[in-house]
Amino acid sequence: MQYVIPAIFVLVILIAAVKRVNVFSSFSRGAGEAVKFVFGLLPLLACTFIMCELFERSHLSDALSRLLAPAFSLLGVPSELSKLILIKPFSGSGSLAYLTQIIGEYGADSYISRCACVLYGSSETVFYISVVYFGKCKNKRRLLPIVIILFATFISTIVACLLCRIM
Amino acid sequence: MNVIFTTILVLSAIVMLITSPADFLPATLDGGMNAAKTCLTLFCIYVVWMGLSAVAEDARITQKCAKFLSKPCGKLFKTKNPTAIENLTMNISCNLLGIGGAATPYGVKAIEALEKDGNEFAQNLLFIINATSIQLIPTTVIALRASAGSIAPHDIAVPSLIATAVSTVLGAALYVLIKNFKPKAAARRRKCST
Repeated sequence: MQYVIPAIFVLVILIAAVKRVNVFSSFSRGAGEAVKFVFGLLPLLACTFIMCELFERSHLSDALSRLLAPAFSLLGVPSELSKLILIKPFSGSGSLAYLTQIIGEYGADSYISRCACVLYGSSETVFYISVVYFGKCKNKRRLLPIVIILFATFISTIVACLLCRIM
Repeated sequence: MNVIFTTILVLSAIVMLITSPADFLPATLDGGMNAAKTCLTLFCIYVVWMGLSAVAEDARITQKCAKFLSKPCGKLFKTKNPTAIENLTMNISCNLLGIGGAATPYGVKAIEALEKDGNEFAQNLLFIINATSIQLIPTTVIALRASAGSIAPHDIAVPSLIATAVSTVLGAALYVLIKNFKPKAAARRRKCST
């Protein structure tokens, strides 16, 4: 897998050079677009991250996960993972820290930490992605897709826990 | 997003007002700091990938790659906009290759092209596919497990792949179904009322 990325670079730049494209000026044009793109995102990201930070620091996430734990265990999801499931859509770094903690606590090869790893690897930080994708759109009311994603991720969580038990 | 943002902000602020008022400002400042850090990280990623993709575009490599997937993609996303299709196909190919950093700029460009057509269906579908993205090899998790002394750090790769595939297919299918069902249901309701 580690060969893919350098190979793509070599291939693209060689083809461009053969076709007599000015690689330097093309690359810097793309880099210039990146500057505009990323710094246009900064205010939106700031809002999202402030929200995520508050959600965690106010211990609202703890309270919610305690509330939801019985429902989770009914569906076959270990209740120890409810906080990870709740945090993952909000914060990548926060959930990574929590994942590390789970692995440290239960051991890398235990059922719970394997579940946690699959969970972490198979879901995304939805709110952050929605900001990146819809930042420049006029219509910012995108509740339906977010709800669908959270639902689909939740179903895949249940599947993941089942798979960990079998495999 | 507005509803979610306001609700969470107000609820957390009220809770913190009672439990730990001194921690409120540091928490918000940390949020801002996180945003700035993420922005810089993103900048490093996108400067590389958007630079390379500009080279690929000028050498007309992108256009050629897009040809293979353009027909099924055009149908699935209900769009005929060539710029949008090109970026859509590149986004999906990069996702499948597991280069998330390269996929995002294409995705955003596709969203912008679709915005001009007012094609909200395709925008939302693309968002769903990306936010439940198929990741072939979860490298971070494997590294983490290996460093924690796991005997078989790779054994979660297959369940992860199945789980992401389930969420992507389920999410996309649900959205397409709901969108196709809604107009029909609305039409039926209109018929009944008249």
